[in-house]
Amino acid sequence: MEHDQMKLERQQTPFHELHDILDHALSKSSDKRVGLLTSITGGEIATLLLSPKDGTAELMVTAVENNKYSSFSTHHAQFHWFERALFDFFGIVPEGHPRFKHLLLHDQYAQDFFPLRKIDLPTDFRNALPRRYEFLEVKGEGVYELPVGPIHAGVIEPGHFRFSCFGETIVNLEIRLGWVHRGVEKRLTEVPWQKAHFVAEAAASDTALANAFAHAIAIESILDLEITERAQYLRTIALEIERLAVHIIDVGGIGTDIGLLGISSAMGRLRGKALALADLISGSRFLRGFIFPGGVRPVSERKLSEIKAGVIALKKDLTPVIQMLSDNQMATERMKDIGKLSKSLAAEFGMVGIIGKACGIDCDTRRQFKQGKYPELAPEPSIEIGGDILARTAVRVGEIWSSLKTIETLVDNCPHGEEKVTVPEMLPANATGLGIVEATRGELIHLIFTDEDGKICRYAIKDPSFDNWTAISIAIRDNLIADFPLCNKSMALSYSGNDL
Amino acid sequence: MLKLITYLLQQGVATAKNICPDLAEGVIGLPMLTDAPCQSGCTACVEVCPTDAISVFNIDDANHVRLDLGACIGCGYCVDVCPTGTIKNNPTTRVAVRTREELILTTAGAAAEAANKELVTQGRTAAAKIPTADSLSKASWFGRSVAARVVSTGCSACDMELGAAGNPIFDMERFGVHIVASPRFADALIVTGPVSKGMQEALVSCYGAMSSPRVVIALGTCAISGGVHKGGYAEANGVDNILPVNVYIPGCPPHPWSIIHGILLAMGKEHLALAKKK
Repeated sequence: MEHDQMKLERQQTPFHELHDILDHALSKSSDKRVGLLTSITGGEIATLLLSPKDGTAELMVTAVENNKYSSFSTHHAQFHWFERALFDFFGIVPEGHPRFKHLLLHDQYAQDFFPLRKIDLPTDFRNALPRRYEFLEVKGEGVYELPVGPIHAGVIEPGHFRFSCFGETIVNLEIRLGWVHRGVEKRLTEVPWQKAHFVAEAAASDTALANAFAHAIAIESILDLEITERAQYLRTIALEIERLAVHIIDVGGIGTDIGLLGISSAMGRLRGKALALADLISGSRFLRGFIFPGGVRPVSERKLSEIKAGVIALKKDLTPVIQMLSDNQMATERMKDIGKLSKSLAAEFGMVGIIGKACGIDCDTRRQFKQGKYPELAPEPSIEIGGDILARTAVRVGEIWSSLKTIETLVDNCPHGEEKVTVPEMLPANATGLGIVEATRGELIHLIFTDEDGKICRYAIKDPSFDNWTAISIAIRDNLIADFPLCNKSMALSYSGNDL
Repeated sequence: MLKLITYLLQQGVATAKNICPDLAEGVIGLPMLTDAPCQSGCTACVEVCPTDAISVFNIDDANHVRLDLGACIGCGYCVDVCPTGTIKNNPTTRVAVRTREELILTTAGAAAEAANKELVTQGRTAAAKIPTADSLSKASWFGRSVAARVVSTGCSACDMELGAAGNPIFDMERFGVHIVASPRFADALIVTGPVSKGMQEALVSCYGAMSSPRVVIALGTCAISGGVHKGGYAEANGVDNILPVNVYIPGCPPHPWSIIHGILLAMGKEHLALAKKK
């Protein structure tokens, strides 16, 4: 069955109704979930409600009075970071938020600086929240704090982890991010929309392709633009190549943190082979500039057959290495029952991607929302129930195999034809566009609003990591501090995609 | 464990012998300017450039192109649209330089030098606060080995390529390059990303914790100029707004070979990066 392009209308929803809708949608019996919560100008809240079952979405726009509303986080834990970001960027106060403080903008910014706010603050607005960040303090005899970051020991993005420990055991972990906040969402409204895909790619470059993909879907849904069948295939192939490259290095990273350096160096080398596939399809190891609204860059038949040969060779190369990791008793013992997250908490916090799948939640958006050749050709989901490091690694390994298989199928069936269609010069006025893509880490959302002149006035990105960072804090509680690096690696979340 | 050792022995040596070879055909590198005259009145490259890295100007009725590789994200769109072949894809991976000026190319030669210089300082926000660079009496201070501390302030692509530069294929450790976990025992500070407001203080204190002599390497377009983030409210305008930079490695992200080339340049060992003749 062909899924139609998703059309999104802005529905005006008063507050009391929104509360009821959310209560209902997020109840255990419901099959809906919240994609994101943000604002457009600072005068309203925009809530994106997803129906994964039928692949549709609703956008509810609720006017905010006196720049404040009563927080949803008290009832629905998933909102706790959304609401903090809402204050960071728009100055809207979620009253009663259980841990109300800045999320991404640090002390360097002026007290009343709200970069995405378009309307004036109310004259009687008093911003009582200090920029200075206070960590949650765990009290008790023998409890000590261990600060880590923002600069980490390895070659990795910056973030601050504040551990409160009792002996070797982590009692609480508070994660403070925002160090690489570059103002991506604002920049996306400043550049000409035809060039915006380059900025979208830079949101998180290990997810460059998925970001360009979600951007293109969102723009095309605004324009009501149908792209060619060949472009749909090529986009989907590229998406799987990106997933393959990241999963390979992340599984290799598990090897590093366990101490199996032979496995990690083999995986590092094999990631190079996945990147060579990216080079073949796009001329770029990170698939940059490949997808844009209207289509993709041209790909020759010769390159496609080289990609297929590369995939077959890579499957052969990966098999013994992954086998050695899964057969290794020491590796299994290091991963089993460590960093465990329960399914109910994962659902309550709206976890997506690898983390959700490792807790038994079928949250693979490739099977739910139109993106390239999905859901028609979507692979079987890779689902585990353990919720621990072992389960997350198994999900990744499962996705490595399914991506390899999917690329082969897609290459075999990829039709001839044009790679791009002509794109209109202007975007329609007051339109809303939505793109959902299953990035390597999970559900990636791009939501675009245009103003009365057809200019992009608000561009919201929800990286899967934004949903998932809290998972580390929950999963590592009561675990040994020495297990943190491995647990962190098993989640492999994005800092830049979260900080934007 | 025996299985793993057997496997590794079977794999043999994966390390490339040819250092910093050219990119394979079809792979997009940075653009370069050629002698082919630019078409009068044409601004196709300027229009497609996502970071305003290209400008077109007129000297003696001839159209000329200025290309700032420090702002270029290597998308290759200008190469695709150039009707005269004035802008071409440059397959070399040896792209690192010592000064910002060297990244600005023009077809006009000496006639454009003054304007090039102006472009370098344009948009610098905190010039007065930049500490002076350590004087290195010899170019080969770190000729035998260099311990490098990496500070990431960006989107992670450069970090991943730096990680790749350490993998068995590229193996930068064979040149004496070590990535270290503390600035206290680092000779080189490698910075990736545009250094937005959130990371400025942390970066400066990391530099301050290093003992002299020390070098700073700006890795990637964001680190050089801010790239697509330049000029925003987060002040993500590149490293040389904050610290003195000794080596610039352009690219978004630079190829692992380019990263190795840049580090060799910082060590005064760039002659090692001359690819062997085929």
